Amino acid sequence: MSGSEYLDAARLRLGGITLVVLAVLAAVLALGFDVDLSRLITWGFVTRSLEMATPIALAAIGGLYAEKSGVFNIGLEGFMIIGAFTTAGTMFALGGTSPTQGHVWAAILVAVAVTTLLTVIFAVLLIRYKADQIVAGLAVWFIGLGFAPFAAALIWGSRSSPGLTNINELALGQSPLVFLTIVLVGVAWVFLYRTRYGYWVQAAGENPEALDTAGVDVNRVRYATVIFSGAMAGLGGAVLLAHAGNFVGTGSTMVDGRGWIAIVAYLFGNYNPVGAAAAALLFGALDMLNVQFQTVGIEVSARLVNLLPYVAVLVVLTIYGKTRIPAVVGEPYETEE
Amino acid sequence: MSGSGPDSNGGALDALAARLLDASVLERVGIAIASTAMALLIGFVIAAAAGYDSIRFANQLLVGAFGSERAIARTLRSTTIFVMTGVAVAVAFRAGVFNIGVQGQFVVGGFSTVISIIWLGAFVPSGTVGGIVLMLFGTVVGVVAGGLYGALPGVMKAYGDANEIITTIMLNFIATGFVGWLVAGPFGAPEATATRTRRLPESVELPQAVFGDPNLSIVGILLMLGVVALVAAVMTRTRFGYDMVTSGYQDTAATYSGVDAKRMVISTMALSGMVAGLTGALFVIMIQGYYTDPSGIGNYGFDAIAVSLLAANNPVGVLPAGLLFGGLESAGSHVQINSDIPVQLIDGIVGLVVLFVAAPELFRMFAARTGLGGDAE
Amino acid sequence: MTRNAPAVRLEGITKRFGDVVANDEVDFTLESGSIHALLGENGSGKTTLMSVLYGLYDQNSGTIHVDGEERTFESPRDAMDAGIGMIHQHFQLVKPMTVLQNVILGHEPTEGGTVDEASARADIEEICERYGFDVDRHLDTPVEDLDLGAQQRVEIVKSLYRGAEILILDEPTAVLTPQEVDGLMEVMNDLREDGRSLIFISHKLDEALEIADDITVLRDGKAVGTVPAAETTEQDLARMMVGREVLFDRLEREPGTGDPVLEVEGLRMPGDRGREQVEGVDLTVREGEVLGIAGVQGNGQSELIEGITGLRRPSGGTVRLSGTDITDRSRRDRIEDGIAYIPEDRQTEGLVQEYTLQRNALLGNQTIEPYAENGILNWGAVDEHAADVIEEYDVQPPNPEANAESLSGGNQQKFIVGREIGHDPDVLVASHPTRGVDIGSIEFIHKRLMELRDEGVGILMVSSKLEEIQKLSDRVAVMYEGEFIDVVDPETVTESELGLLMAGQTLAEGSDDADDETSADVDGGVSS
Repeated sequence: MSGSEYLDAARLRLGGITLVVLAVLAAVLALGFDVDLSRLITWGFVTRSLEMATPIALAAIGGLYAEKSGVFNIGLEGFMIIGAFTTAGTMFALGGTSPTQGHVWAAILVAVAVTTLLTVIFAVLLIRYKADQIVAGLAVWFIGLGFAPFAAALIWGSRSSPGLTNINELALGQSPLVFLTIVLVGVAWVFLYRTRYGYWVQAAGENPEALDTAGVDVNRVRYATVIFSGAMAGLGGAVLLAHAGNFVGTGSTMVDGRGWIAIVAYLFGNYNPVGAAAAALLFGALDMLNVQFQTVGIEVSARLVNLLPYVAVLVVLTIYGKTRIPAVVGEPYETEE
Repeated sequence: MSGSGPDSNGGALDALAARLLDASVLERVGIAIASTAMALLIGFVIAAAAGYDSIRFANQLLVGAFGSERAIARTLRSTTIFVMTGVAVAVAFRAGVFNIGVQGQFVVGGFSTVISIIWLGAFVPSGTVGGIVLMLFGTVVGVVAGGLYGALPGVMKAYGDANEIITTIMLNFIATGFVGWLVAGPFGAPEATATRTRRLPESVELPQAVFGDPNLSIVGILLMLGVVALVAAVMTRTRFGYDMVTSGYQDTAATYSGVDAKRMVISTMALSGMVAGLTGALFVIMIQGYYTDPSGIGNYGFDAIAVSLLAANNPVGVLPAGLLFGGLESAGSHVQINSDIPVQLIDGIVGLVVLFVAAPELFRMFAARTGLGGDAE
Repeated sequence: MTRNAPAVRLEGITKRFGDVVANDEVDFTLESGSIHALLGENGSGKTTLMSVLYGLYDQNSGTIHVDGEERTFESPRDAMDAGIGMIHQHFQLVKPMTVLQNVILGHEPTEGGTVDEASARADIEEICERYGFDVDRHLDTPVEDLDLGAQQRVEIVKSLYRGAEILILDEPTAVLTPQEVDGLMEVMNDLREDGRSLIFISHKLDEALEIADDITVLRDGKAVGTVPAAETTEQDLARMMVGREVLFDRLEREPGTGDPVLEVEGLRMPGDRGREQVEGVDLTVREGEVLGIAGVQGNGQSELIEGITGLRRPSGGTVRLSGTDITDRSRRDRIEDGIAYIPEDRQTEGLVQEYTLQRNALLGNQTIEPYAENGILNWGAVDEHAADVIEEYDVQPPNPEANAESLSGGNQQKFIVGREIGHDPDVLVASHPTRGVDIGSIEFIHKRLMELRDEGVGILMVSSKLEEIQKLSDRVAVMYEGEFIDVVDPETVTESELGLLMAGQTLAEGSDDADDETSADVDGGVSS
């Protein structure tokens, strides 16, 4: 089977090292500090980690599709903010401060539709008008940071919404959105590595000319992936809100860097949907471990722990050098003549 | 033969740099004005749709930015920071290096300045001379720290082949998180209710500008102008600047002429980081007086990218571009107090400006179609 | 065997790029089931002609017939549908994807929504079996892990998988080792025997003679002639390729007997892909001497020059300038030491296209007084230099504020030559100093080079034009596969002897005045 599909040797080693470190950490905690591990690793912890990971995983899958095809969508954070706000706004419009579960689902759909629509504009700017991908992506972030709290203030008189409602659990104490994410991860993997369209996505980001001479319209492929990435980020934002139950628009909003972590996640996962989802889960667990540490009375700075993903990506990029950035990311494709 | 078309040389960055730099000055000014006008127009439409009086809102923007001495002082204060961070970005972009990490370098520089001044403050007598010593020392430390934090991704790119766009984005978050932790913990002021460091000693103070704003100093404005002039001079009058700009245009020609590409990347990033670090030092000495959690400090280093692009990465052009952003930020403070329009609207408008600046082609095609573009191809 | 309608017939193809005529009324006929070699120097219009056939360019005039039917191709897709496949010099492969995925890209068989790898695998294996390819052994290997020869076979299999009956191979041997070339020849033979028609683009005479049925020679965009391979010789072909430009004869000179200025010993240079391209070259250039290096492009000349000018780090050997070891000195150091360089590629190296001529006048001079002192530039001096060069070298238009990209190739080259000579060098390295330059400018540049030599500068010149080499050089070294195969006297050597040496064949012992008959009989003896 092809080497790029599976986590390569270096990455497996890295994963192995991570596991060893975690095991050592657990041993030290259990023996040295007399911490009851069963209190640390609880079912609630697993649930919260999964909940934490889902929005990141969804946005990461969208982002990796765009980047695989040669377009760097660094607007994920912005699209997530817009997705989260739209969900809250729709819920409130449908059911006031006590929306039903039906309203929740409808709100998620509306949020995906709205972000998809906005991403179409974004994609046209990037592909047809060859906008600078970095700057345009930053702009989306700023626009989300500005307009979402603005609209929230218009509706609720404050940048955050009142308590709405969150989605009910489906089974095993997990939200249906967790299961939806797992399914989407699998589908994204199969689509990317097992269908012709997935081949085209990969070729568009590596050697668009080869794809073009094979008779496939490169920019059409890129439109599809960019729009998909926006829709997935919007879904990620919607899921985040459906789990939280209310919108927070102060500071860096409730999305609070998850869109950026999504980029880290897919880099860490070497653009593999399953790898990206695993990285998202790792980061989600890391985040939740902070909470667990607090409940069992260990003092660790959450902020420092949350920096680990970023540091890890730097190490992977520089030292392992194995994260393979598609060859032509950022380069608009122009056909000859 | 087939591959030797005019635009077949170079990779993505070359093409990008070429496109961004190609525009003539006049065209650039046109695009900048069109971007701003378009963004403002959309902002007004949104304000109207939300039930506010757009004319009044426009008026408040103007008044908030330039309507009074206080407003002008506030505008100039933000402008200094936007211009200097904008110059930091321009330095790198002109050399074809995409430093998205100015925000992080700005934070690291400013924080280092605060810490070094507080540390040295214990040994230096108070008074004007002592204050000047402290400020000079702190500024040097800030510049060095910013420069090192900028050089780091340069080294990663030169020797680890790590894409600088991604590494600098990551280093922004690391700077914010790590400094945030330091401010909250090891360097937190025990007596303060908010998360911040101790205040700088009283003696650390710059002379005020004419407007009597305690947070705007003539020294700051002069420093800004000095940095612009210096960087412009370095780019156009020195060998280093020629090497740098040539690398940005056509790296193969730069190598031919004796430029060491790896070293160039590192020194470009270091210079860019030094300017960002200097901005951080000015920010804490002139404006803040202590360091807070950087996540609440503002997106100067990100907006700087738009400032620089608006100015076609020309250090002199950064002045008007920075003034625009300074004016919008200043207007924001005014609107927040004097109007019931949620101030985030202005943040959104800034976002739209950035978006349009990213897509000059939009206006070019529009101009070509409507015949406004003159003879631009 | 009866011959059908020709597989391809091109009539009166003219293709212009701006003012440059790349193809001028070219006629070309590919018989069905044959191999037709298209021979010519770089820039003679071979690739352009084939790009017209493959739908990459629209011709300005002329017609294309495929299998007897007139066709117009808007895109490669159209050409592909008509059964034409092209193997480009730069492979159109997606490096991290597997061989299988690359072969079927854009033509994937699907089954229930997913790619039907099994059926693709079977089809590819069948193709491989038919032609004895080994590609099927690597079907699941990422393409980037294959060597270039194998990548090329993947390209061929890709074309066959898409059903190509007519294959265009653009300089397919340029990137291959001799063993891989042999393998390719076999493959081409098998394809011909299977009834497919091939166009083989090359500038190597021996390869064309070995494999082709017919040979068409292009020169300066025109078809010089088509000959059956069986009825021609390397000498004839060399003459057709190089032609006889009407230039004045060898210039008056005094033999250079000065001290050695440039000495290279045992130089070894790595290539772009890691394989060593220069394998131990010794050379000496004396004051007031021109050492010409002849050879087919890609035999290590570029790497040799990069080793001398400091653009690439050698993997072994030493370079000395006036007796001082400069092997470890940087490019910039060597500029300051007095090595001037007219680069191979003026578009990307010699000039910054978006700079004015004034700013370009500084390129390479950044550390040299009076243009710069202590890192501060003196634009006044630079502008003067630019104006001087423009005037002295008759650069048109004579506008120092014109952007380099607005100048014609000849004028760009004159400007570069003027700038480099203005360095007042001890050694001038000139790589294809008159490539793509109009005849008037060629003579002018030649005169300048001779003047420089007479002033005592040592000149190392690489050129693919034999008459240029013969006219200017005091000694001629012929480079083949990373080594100097021979050093000859340009006064006595004949063009055909140079052609043989360039093809890797040594001259018969003692035949100073070798007549064409004997040297042509020396076959295959590749010295190493």
